[in-house]
Amino acid sequence: MVMENERKIKVLIAKPGLDGHDRGAKVLAFGLRDQGMEVIYTGRRQSAVQIVKAAIQEDVDVVGLSCLSGAHLTFFPKVVELLKEQKADDVLVVGGGIIPEEHIPILKEKGVAEIFVSGAMVKDIGDFIRKNVRKAD
Amino acid sequence: MHHDKDKLEEIKKKRKEWEEKVLKPAAKRFRMEKPTEFHTPLEIEGFDFLRDVGFPGQYPFTTAAFPVNLVPALRKGAKPGGLKRASQYSGYGTPEDTRDYYKAQAALGWSGGPNFALDLPTQCGYDSDNPTVEGEVGKVGVAIDTLRDFEVIFEAFTGDQDLDKIATNMTMNAAANILIAMYIALAEKRGIPMAKLKGTPQNDILKEHVSRGTYIFPPRPSMRMFRDSVVFFTKHLPGINITSIGGYHIREGGATREQEMAFSLAIGIAYLQEGVNAGVDIDDFAPKFTFNGSGGSLEIYKEVAFHRAYRRMWAKIVKERFGAKKEESMRIRVPMFAHIGCSSTTKQRVLNNLSRTMIGGIAGLLSGGPPAVFPPYDEPLGLGWSLEARQLADDGARILMYETGMCDVLDPFAGSYFMESLTNEIEKAGWEGLQKIEDMGGAVTAIETGYMQREIARSAAERQAKIERGEMLLVGVNCFTEEYELDVTVNRLVEHPYSEKKRYDAEEKQKANLAEVKRTRNNREVKRLLLELEKAAKKEDENLMPLFIQLAREYASLQEQCDVLRGVFGEWQQDTFI
Repeated sequence: MVMENERKIKVLIAKPGLDGHDRGAKVLAFGLRDQGMEVIYTGRRQSAVQIVKAAIQEDVDVVGLSCLSGAHLTFFPKVVELLKEQKADDVLVVGGGIIPEEHIPILKEKGVAEIFVSGAMVKDIGDFIRKNVRKAD
Repeated sequence: MHHDKDKLEEIKKKRKEWEEKVLKPAAKRFRMEKPTEFHTPLEIEGFDFLRDVGFPGQYPFTTAAFPVNLVPALRKGAKPGGLKRASQYSGYGTPEDTRDYYKAQAALGWSGGPNFALDLPTQCGYDSDNPTVEGEVGKVGVAIDTLRDFEVIFEAFTGDQDLDKIATNMTMNAAANILIAMYIALAEKRGIPMAKLKGTPQNDILKEHVSRGTYIFPPRPSMRMFRDSVVFFTKHLPGINITSIGGYHIREGGATREQEMAFSLAIGIAYLQEGVNAGVDIDDFAPKFTFNGSGGSLEIYKEVAFHRAYRRMWAKIVKERFGAKKEESMRIRVPMFAHIGCSSTTKQRVLNNLSRTMIGGIAGLLSGGPPAVFPPYDEPLGLGWSLEARQLADDGARILMYETGMCDVLDPFAGSYFMESLTNEIEKAGWEGLQKIEDMGGAVTAIETGYMQREIARSAAERQAKIERGEMLLVGVNCFTEEYELDVTVNRLVEHPYSEKKRYDAEEKQKANLAEVKRTRNNREVKRLLLELEKAAKKEDENLMPLFIQLAREYASLQEQCDVLRGVFGEWQQDTFI
């Protein structure tokens, strides 16, 4: 545990698909930044391919996906899959949005580490990330 | 109300005495950091009833847009809200699915035109066969690619529900003109002249750039599309509103009340200016502006004041700045007044939202409109409102209308020391925010530079921080969550009329529908017209509406037309402002 080995946790917040509801994504970007993480926000209308490309280029530890249009079952697993293909499956993938209760286990089974829904606290999301993020070598 | 100077001095003196001798000790005794407020004539010194309030339905419209509250409870023979018009925001899947839905609703006794929700590919100018929109076709609304799809949906509207008898609403912004052109082409095929059409496209593109997100082109060329609407609709479509301006989306996107006010008014001004610049008389087109709603919150005094101030400000802007003469140019037409806003609902202990929305319903009445018991309590569950939740929302409104007597009075707060001063305060903040945007060069510039987007994001983050610090309390979310509180859950058992399966099958079906259209239409003519469109788009002064109508007739697709425009106008991509 040497201090200089500890780099800031790097997070990519992404909005897959055409969904325009970006309030949560932006709130999270601000909030995690306030907690000392380095946050990159992709903006709207990103394909899974674009998101994974950005994640790898930026060498992020975490990808946070936000979707409120009901297309989460298509997009979230796709991002996980593409990360795996790129041998980047140690990147922690979390998701949020309007996700029906019954979809949460499906998404988790497909490799999304956690789903945060309406009312979630940024503090709790930060705690989850710190606890579950890959450890720096 | 007009207190003379001596009286005011006396009140001031007495107030001071009361504060020292009565209020302070009480606040101390009950350990209140901030004692409850009490308002006096001192706060509205110089108040002028005729200038500041006036009569309902008259300039400056502070009390209400219309002389009476138009709730059905007060109207002889009006249906008590039992049989909703089809015009509830609706539609999903393929055009066939949506047509069948409307037919089923008609069989239940619903009447009136549709208010359709479009899927995201349509709203963003993509066809259903575009691989990049896979998974989104027919999901949040119905998919529309060509005139064929209008033909199918409107099979549910014939006879005494034909296009010259109903009003059709479409939540379409970036390419509203293209869909209106399809609607015109459909009417033509039925022998109905466009002058007889009625309806409202949302056509409020700038707020898409600020908040909602279904833009296609950058703000400037988007305004050129808007100019085409003003000019063409005013001349040829007297029954079609030009726009339905919404502050609602801006607030839901995170704006504060004051930001919403400033931003949406700045956007409204930009639209008015566009029409004036194109040489259209303000009184010929301003009455064709509608508003789809403002944002809301549970702070209902402030929301009521907001509506009073907003009506007065818009009226002043249209009259004083644009020199309108007709009162209907200055009147805000909006279906819903104060309400709590969807973002006030909580997923936790979801039935509490019914209590919250009843408060919104009361605010609706107090602000001069119908009781907006909105949204149905299960909004945050995100599966589409259940029929049970809709029933309870309707019932809530009915309870307010039929059991409380609250509808009998318009603007009951008029003249209240508190409400009048609060209205003034909110108006002042609104003007200040508006001035800031004017100083930057107006709404378009404030969007191009990301000012509005950044401000909203910052406000949203601040609100969240307040919730997390416990400075803003949400019952069941960040307080009253101890173990002994009950987690009240609900069952929703009545089957929803939208079929989940159809929604998921829609994409493949609609791709096949589009392929069939592309196979059978006159492709050479489509190609020729698309080239025409490109040429016309390059000429800034050219109105594109006539070409959109020709293209619609030939079954050119939405994306084919949008792609041509993307090539000329460019695409708006800079939305990462944080």
